[in-house]
Amino acid sequence: MTKPDQFMFAARRGLVRVAPLILFGLIWHTICTAGVVNKDFLPAPGAVAAALADLFKGGEITKNLTITLFRAAVGLILGAACGIWIGVMMARSRHFREYVTPIVGGTYSLPKSALIPLFALWFGIGNITSIAAVFLACLLPMIVNTYHGVVTTPKVLVWSAEALGTGERELWPRIFIRNALPDIFTGLRIALGFSFVLAISAEMIASTNGIGKLIFMYGENGAYDYMFAAIACMVIVAFLADRALVILTKRLLVWHESAAAELEARRP
Amino acid sequence: MLALRGTDLTVNEGEFVSIVGPSGCGKSTLLYVVGGFLAARGEVTIDGAPVKGPGTDRGIVFQEYALFPWLTVHDNIAFGLERQGLAASEREKIVDRLVKVIGLGGFEKRYPRELSGGMKQRVAIARTLARDPAILLLDEPFGALDAQTREIMQDELLRIWLETRKTVLMVTHDVTEAVYLSNRICVMSARPGQIIEEFTVSFDRGRSREELVVSEQFNSIRNRVWLSVRRQALAAGEHNDEA
Repeated sequence: MTKPDQFMFAARRGLVRVAPLILFGLIWHTICTAGVVNKDFLPAPGAVAAALADLFKGGEITKNLTITLFRAAVGLILGAACGIWIGVMMARSRHFREYVTPIVGGTYSLPKSALIPLFALWFGIGNITSIAAVFLACLLPMIVNTYHGVVTTPKVLVWSAEALGTGERELWPRIFIRNALPDIFTGLRIALGFSFVLAISAEMIASTNGIGKLIFMYGENGAYDYMFAAIACMVIVAFLADRALVILTKRLLVWHESAAAELEARRP
Repeated sequence: MLALRGTDLTVNEGEFVSIVGPSGCGKSTLLYVVGGFLAARGEVTIDGAPVKGPGTDRGIVFQEYALFPWLTVHDNIAFGLERQGLAASEREKIVDRLVKVIGLGGFEKRYPRELSGGMKQRVAIARTLARDPAILLLDEPFGALDAQTREIMQDELLRIWLETRKTVLMVTHDVTEAVYLSNRICVMSARPGQIIEEFTVSFDRGRSREELVVSEQFNSIRNRVWLSVRRQALAAGEHNDEA
C-alpha cells in the first residue's frame, strides 16, 4: 500500500471507531433538548462538557483523580504480586494447594464490594480501606490465571528443558513462569478493571476524597452535570489504562499466538 | 495402568534402533523411561550406570516439536548451551554451525509460531544436537509432517546420523521409515507392551533412497516387519472388542 492509501485507511478506520460515539452523543443531546426527560436529571452533553472543563479549571478533579489512581494502583500492584506468588505456590506445592483451593473457590464469586463496610470498620475511612478492597478484588483473578498458566505448561517443554540441562529450580523462571505469562496478563487485564470498580466503590462508602466520593457528593447535592463529568473522566482514564495494558501485552508477548494474531488483525 | 511389561532391550553404541508397534502399545512410554522422565519398575543403564532422571547425555525430540515458543530459533538452539555455561563466542559458533546444518540461515530471529512444521522439527533436532548428547531419543519425530516433508527430514536425519554416528532410539508407527533409517527394528506387542520380534537391517547406505526403496532387499524386510506389526494391531483390536 502507498503512503496516502495508508493514511486514508487509518482515517476511515478512525472514523468508523468514533462514529457510534458521535451517534450516541447526538441521541443523548436530542433526548435532552426535545424535553423527553427532565434536564435536571439527565444533563445534556454540552452541560457535562462545561462541568468537566470547570472541574479541571478548579483543579478539584486532578487532585481527586490522583488519589483514586494511587489507591487503585497500589491495590493492583500488591494484589497482582501476591496473586502471582500464591498461584505459583499452588502449582508448586500440593499441601499449599489443598489449603488454598477451597478458600479461592469459596470467595471467587463473592462481590468484594460487600466487604467494604467491614474494611471501613477495621481500617477506618481512607486509603487503607480502599487499597484493601482493590487488593482483594485483584488477588483472585491473578491467582486463578497464574495457576492455570503454570499447570498447563506442556510436559514436553519441561522434559525438553530437563534433557537440555535445566535444574528443578531453574525450571520455574525459565519454563513455568514464561509459559504462564499470557495467562498472567489476562488476569492483569481483569484485575485492572476490578481495581477501578473497587477504588470508586470504596470511596463512595468510606472516604473523604477521591473520584468515588466526588461522584457520590455531586449526586447527593443534585449537581448531576458535575456528577456526569466526574463519571466521564473516570471512564476515559479506565479506557486509556486498559488500552495501555493491551499494547504493553502485545509488545511483551510477540511470541504468543493470540497476541500476534491481534497484531496481524490490526495491520491494514 | 500397566504400559509395559518385561521389556528387555539392549542398544549398542552407534546403533540406530527403531521401535514399532500398534498405537497405544507403550512405545513412547519406553522412550520416556530411557529418557528418565518417567520412573519404571526395572532398570535402565547407560555404560553400566543406572539412569536416575533426565540427563544431557540423552537428547530427545518429540513429535509435537516442543520448541520454547517464547524463544527465537537462535535462542531455542542456544538454550542447552546456556545451561552448560559455555562462553558466548563458543555458543555462537555452535549455533551458527547448526543453523547451517538444518538450512535455516536467515531465520534465526523468528519465533516458532512463524515456522512450518518441518522447520520447527529441524530446529528441535538442532537444539538437541547442540548439547551433543551421546544418545538421541526420537519420539515419532516426523509423525506430524506431510509425506514429502517427512521424506526430506528422514534423509536429513540419516545424513546427520551417518556423520555423527550417535546412538539413536526412535519410536515410530511408520514401518517404511523404520526400515529406511534403522540398523535394528523391535516390534512391540499391544499394551502392556513387550518386545516380541526383532529385525536386523543392513543396507549399503551409499545407495540413494530411490534405488533402495524399490529394491527387493528393502521390500522383503519392510513386508516382514509390516506383517509382524499388523498381527499385533489385530490382536490389540480383538482385545479391545472384548473389553
